[in-house]
Amino acid sequence: MIEFSHVYKTYPGPVHALKNIELTIGKGEFVFLTGPSGAGKTTLFKMISAYDLATSGEIKVAGHDLANLKGNSIALFRRKIGVVFQDFKLLKDRTVFENVALPLQVRGDRNISIQRRVLEVLENVGLAHKSDQYPEFLSGGEQQRTAIARAIIHQPGVLIADEPTGNLDPQLSEEIMDLLERVSSQGTTVFVATHDHEMVKRRNKRTLVLREGMISEALR
Amino acid sequence: MKSQQKSWMLKFSTLIVVTACFSVLLASLLVSKNLNKLLVLWGEDIQMTVYLSDEIQTSEKQKIQDWLSQQSSVEKVDYINQKKAFENFQTQLSSYAPNLSEDEELLKMIPASLEIKLSYQIPEGQELKTMQSLKEGLSQLPGVDEISYGQDWVQKYSALVSGFRAGFNGLGLILSLAVLFIISNVVRTSVFSRHDEIVVLEMIGASFKRIRKPFLVEGAILGFVSSVVALGVCGGFYLLGTKFVSENLSFLKLSENLEFFSLPSIVLFLFVGTTIGTLASYFCVRSINDGFSGSQRGAIE
Repeated sequence: MIEFSHVYKTYPGPVHALKNIELTIGKGEFVFLTGPSGAGKTTLFKMISAYDLATSGEIKVAGHDLANLKGNSIALFRRKIGVVFQDFKLLKDRTVFENVALPLQVRGDRNISIQRRVLEVLENVGLAHKSDQYPEFLSGGEQQRTAIARAIIHQPGVLIADEPTGNLDPQLSEEIMDLLERVSSQGTTVFVATHDHEMVKRRNKRTLVLREGMISEALR
Repeated sequence: MKSQQKSWMLKFSTLIVVTACFSVLLASLLVSKNLNKLLVLWGEDIQMTVYLSDEIQTSEKQKIQDWLSQQSSVEKVDYINQKKAFENFQTQLSSYAPNLSEDEELLKMIPASLEIKLSYQIPEGQELKTMQSLKEGLSQLPGVDEISYGQDWVQKYSALVSGFRAGFNGLGLILSLAVLFIISNVVRTSVFSRHDEIVVLEMIGASFKRIRKPFLVEGAILGFVSSVVALGVCGGFYLLGTKFVSENLSFLKLSENLEFFSLPSIVLFLFVGTTIGTLASYFCVRSINDGFSGSQRGAIE
């Protein structure tokens, strides 16, 4: 599902953000990415979600060679992945229902099927009773669950989450991780960047470590 | 809720600013149009007078008239004989200097003349040149004593027309650019206030068209509504202005010659206003939605 082959990313300076990244993550895998700040985690995630291009090397995500994406094919590719951020990125002037429905509206689904699917996903993340609320009236955990619901509603092949528990307390963090594991168990590849080493240890999942632009596999 | 309120406030203030710009632009166009019309009307009064010598023969007079009838720049020629000229002079001076008009020796000195009205086909500002050329031709003919065409007035009129035209063209250009600049900036502010929405839409795979469409529609609506309101404002001031002129400056007989924009001009203005709004939005959105704007503006950090 995610393949990096001899990937380098160099910014003007030159700053070598990523060096010779070799990486394969299979369908339905749940993988943690850890590493100190500035190690290149964000750069890696930008490249997986087609927000940035590799300087050299090849990246394949959900069957797409990202170097060949141009114009609207970038948009079509992004409909096959889901992204979750630390700061949720919910639209404040739209309800939970409207936020979650966005990817399906963008895809051009019919209203009746959007209605059914959104309620189903909100039920899964435990927010069906909050569907008419605006994000500012939700707790941090509820906002992140809404963001996850939005990221999985279109059943993406790959879900990347950049510090999804960074703004949450330990209990809410566990809830979010449980939710992400459930998503993974349904066949979606889940790739999570985190600084929470304790949680990574407890979850006992495949973990990659990024240091100074180079990636390595952590021992379990 | 607060953000919605803020967004409406921004849209309302945008509408006011753009309407004000359009109103100024329209007002200057309206003033230019009417001033130009008045200048053309005044220009129609320009005429030449050819004074004939006392000893002129009938054949010479006919020759002059034939020559004039061959000139495309001449619309009409009226022969004013000595008797008619005398009567005209008496009529004009009777109320100011009754004794002078009774002085027959003096009045006998008034010559017969030809009054020439220029063709309407002569381009505005070309009247002086045309008259100079006519004068040259007439001076060659026997029986012509003197030619008068109010050179000073024609010269000033031509300069006035050219000056106003250049001034209003310049003002129109400056105001159009200012309107485009202001709308562009106001829409840019509006677009940046919805930056998060653009980032989210990009992230979930919305096409460029889908992301840009609401902003373009918003710009078009802004341009259209502002144009409509500006037309209303201008129409209101026009009505007040014509009322003032007809009540207080009736002696100038201006009010019957003033006019508002024609229907095709109004439709054209609405079209241009809507296009300006759409274009300004397009340039703003294009610069922040190029497929990687999320990363450029911190979507993932």
